[in-house]
Amino acid sequence: MSLRRLRRRLPRTGLGVMLALAVLTSAAMLFERIPRPAGLQVWAFDPGHVDVYRLLVPGWNRRHPDHPLALNVLTGSALQTRMMSGFLAGTPVADLLEIERTLTGPVFAGPVDEIGFVDLTDRLQREGLLDQINAASFSPWTTRGHIFGLPHDVHPVMLAYRSDLVEAAGIDVTRIETWDDYFRAMRPLMRDLDGDGRIDCYPLNGTYANPSTAEVILLQAGGTFFTADGSAELDSEINAEILARLATWFAGPARVIGDANFGTVSGQQLLHSGFVIGIIAPDFFAGSMTTTLPDMAGRFKLMPLPAWKPGGRRTSVQGGTMMGIARSTPDVDLAWAALKELYLSPVGAEHLFRDRGIVTPVKANWNQPVFDEPSPFFCGQPVGRLYLRLAPEVPLRPSSPYYTQATTYLGNIANQLATLADREGIAEPARLLPRARALLAAAQRDLQAQMRRNTFLARPAR
Amino acid sequence: MRRRLTLAVVYALLVLFAGLMLTPFAFMLASTLKTKADFVNTLFLPDGDGWLGVGWDRLTLANYRRLFVELPMARALLNSAFLASVGSIFATLFSAMGGYALSKFEFRGREALIRLVLGALIIPAPLLIAPGFQNLWKLGLLDTYTGLIMPGLAPAFGVFLFRQAMLNAVPSELIDAARIDGAGEFRIFFTLVFPLVRPMVGAFLMITFLGVWNDFLTPQVVLQSPDRYPLSTTLAMLRNLDWNDYGLVLAGTLVSIAPVMCLFLLLQREFISGLTSGAVKG
Amino acid sequence: MTSYRPHPRWAPWAFIAPFVVLFAVFTAWPLLRSLQLAFEQTYGPQTTVFVGLKNFRYLATDPLFWHAVTNTLQFTLWTVGLQVPVALCLALLLNRPNLRGRAGFRLIFFSPSLVGLVFVAMLFLPMFEKRTGLVNIWLHALWPAWSLDFPWFETYTMTALVLAAVWTGAGLMMVYFLAALQHVPAELLEAAQMDGAGPLQRFWHVVLPEIRPVLGLMSLLSFVGCMQLFELSYLMLGDSGSAGGRGFSIVMYLYQMGFTTGDLGYASAIGWVLALFLMAIAFLQRRLARRQLED
Repeated sequence: MSLRRLRRRLPRTGLGVMLALAVLTSAAMLFERIPRPAGLQVWAFDPGHVDVYRLLVPGWNRRHPDHPLALNVLTGSALQTRMMSGFLAGTPVADLLEIERTLTGPVFAGPVDEIGFVDLTDRLQREGLLDQINAASFSPWTTRGHIFGLPHDVHPVMLAYRSDLVEAAGIDVTRIETWDDYFRAMRPLMRDLDGDGRIDCYPLNGTYANPSTAEVILLQAGGTFFTADGSAELDSEINAEILARLATWFAGPARVIGDANFGTVSGQQLLHSGFVIGIIAPDFFAGSMTTTLPDMAGRFKLMPLPAWKPGGRRTSVQGGTMMGIARSTPDVDLAWAALKELYLSPVGAEHLFRDRGIVTPVKANWNQPVFDEPSPFFCGQPVGRLYLRLAPEVPLRPSSPYYTQATTYLGNIANQLATLADREGIAEPARLLPRARALLAAAQRDLQAQMRRNTFLARPAR
Repeated sequence: MRRRLTLAVVYALLVLFAGLMLTPFAFMLASTLKTKADFVNTLFLPDGDGWLGVGWDRLTLANYRRLFVELPMARALLNSAFLASVGSIFATLFSAMGGYALSKFEFRGREALIRLVLGALIIPAPLLIAPGFQNLWKLGLLDTYTGLIMPGLAPAFGVFLFRQAMLNAVPSELIDAARIDGAGEFRIFFTLVFPLVRPMVGAFLMITFLGVWNDFLTPQVVLQSPDRYPLSTTLAMLRNLDWNDYGLVLAGTLVSIAPVMCLFLLLQREFISGLTSGAVKG
Repeated sequence: MTSYRPHPRWAPWAFIAPFVVLFAVFTAWPLLRSLQLAFEQTYGPQTTVFVGLKNFRYLATDPLFWHAVTNTLQFTLWTVGLQVPVALCLALLLNRPNLRGRAGFRLIFFSPSLVGLVFVAMLFLPMFEKRTGLVNIWLHALWPAWSLDFPWFETYTMTALVLAAVWTGAGLMMVYFLAALQHVPAELLEAAQMDGAGPLQRFWHVVLPEIRPVLGLMSLLSFVGCMQLFELSYLMLGDSGSAGGRGFSIVMYLYQMGFTTGDLGYASAIGWVLALFLMAIAFLQRRLARRQLED
């Protein structure tokens, strides 16, 4: 066949290919059945959590051969899209879903009786679980007085500090009560070691690039996010005071916070060089330190957070995870039993601490020996016990569909105040106060406008 | 002499532009064949002492093996092929039928329908995302192929294109003659009219095939079961799975692009002439 | 011409029926519904509450929406502004008489247009990466002061998006321009040459007026397409459009509102504002084109 004729025939071949493709793939679709997933489906986002559950699955499956547990790890964004589509529009969704607290916003934004999770309040009350689980752990999963999940954690916060440097300098941390004490005690360590005019050692690690540090301190110091009835309360005087003072820690001539970002190679280098003395460490973070910085073993110790004011709270809280039951599940009682199996198990609690450093919120599991084991990384301290001792003091986590937005506003304000402190060389919190008040008032207005738009929040349950 | 110089400059520029246009493809192809370590260390193919100073022995098909053995790429390929071929064939057929009705028949309501088609041309797609989702939910078509395919089968754009093509290419006398010979209406359409607008058929098949194949937002919103995902959403999932394994992601991209490239080579001439015919004249 | 046989009355309706039915169910009806949705607040497709003009009133002062509008407009103007000259250059180069290999070049320039935006995003993501990315490595090689750690996604987000968009869109535009250039009457060009017009003058006074309608139409189509920026940004930069939302676009906000938060009502309001804006632009362009034609 000549090239010319071939080219003329190509289009006809193209149409033929297209038709053949349609016929063949249609046939394949006719014969190929998408298998219905068998058993109780669990969707989770954290492979580490799921590793722990894997230990518990065989026991459950032996007792419930007709309803085996199927664990699925989804990425955070896939879990969110599929969960919301399932809750809102009835597309297939798992029976049990484990979610991080940032995902609760959209889930809780609707009318309270249309939330996609099963309301667990009555069950928890009936079975006495409200008393058996650390009370503060329920707060992020509560909206308008109803609880929609079993809490996974307590997440108390301590201060991990470079005991090698601190003890070499002869500093006694037991005499430190407040943040002021802490910074005063660590002052001698703040030095420019290489003479380049920049400080090479800061008393505390933190950042104002995102809201996380500011949020931990705000919660510790009693900052306000929402009132008891759920309306925004960003513009309180205490918030202004906290943020103004925090800004002078972050920046300006009185700066005491350095930023060694753990997520980056350069941040870990800074950490090894002794760039920061103290690290704000929730339980999971202390756990991840032992695995990500094995060469730093024996150089850190944990102490309760210094208090904001004398006599104040010596801990805070960060993050959070829950597991809930989808309302679409055919058998709520069965799902509830499975949920308790995964979350209340003593074996699970032990491994969760051993593998991930997370202390369980289930009080019955608190007396396990694993929590008293001395940690080689933290100079032989009984890390689990230290965190658990703080559990009753852990502040409530604000619960609102607009929680993420609120922390974003507060983080932005911390950022702006720090920039101001740097630019104008401000060391006294009092000079930042007026600006803090103005920024908070503006944020309050914006957040209120956003919340007022949502007419579902005010709608009572039927 | 001057003429040849300008021509040389033109060629130089064309080759430069062609190189720039092809670079991403070359980068993609080379990256898919490398190990993770070689991806970091070399830009295109790894150095070595093979032919042309390239370490051919260090190339690997591991990324493709992973795509098809561990990951649901084969399934996604099948899903995409099904959605795009079935969707484009029916969209083309319905468009051609609509264009035929509006160009070769006189009937009451014709003018109104023509105006409707012209009006529908300016509806931007994002306007229909939210209400379309609600509509599919009402019809119980979420997470089904029907819900994904059906809304794309009545493109006003296609009806418009075929109407223009048939006004120009199909003589009414021919149709009348066929009727007098006693041919049925559908026989006239399929054996007489359809072949006369063959270039437009090829072009529009390709347009709609590309449209479905490359669509991301609609399957992302409508489908929720990963088994049903076409290539676009599967690939997005893959990227989330392992953010930094670019070799794997690019292998997935190559597998997604290659079939439409082949199809295009088959339908190239009709496609380009069909594309431009309307715009340049009108 | 005496033996005329009319078509049966059902015939046109049989041919148009599939289009009419599908269009009614999947376009016309949802479109009508969206008029209603835009005045409602919803939680998923099921739960709806009438809120009057509240959606639009909030939209007018919504900082996130205006942030998205600014970003999208910036992206659109840059992309269209670069795409048109690049495509025109390519078309002019290819339009030279006696050029060998025209079909091959045309194929090469056109091929990126076949790649869907999802796949373009995947393709360009590694190219703009720090250290291992081709763009930084080449720029560094050409100009050693260029840092290998140049932060395309963190700081030059828009530039990265625009470059990817121009790469994929220029070829299609070029095909149209080339077709238009080939329709420029040869006599006109010869006459101009006889009058002593140089190549630039010939382009400006003869070629440009002839291809102006295509130029206008393609700019409009590209503008409308760019204003719907979603895939590139969503897949290259993530749900929130990178740090500080530099790549956050209008359709991304619509998607987030409608499908992450479940407020299809607000999403519809955003859709209507975008649609009305695009229709107004299209209307203006047509008016302008018609006036030029009459001149």
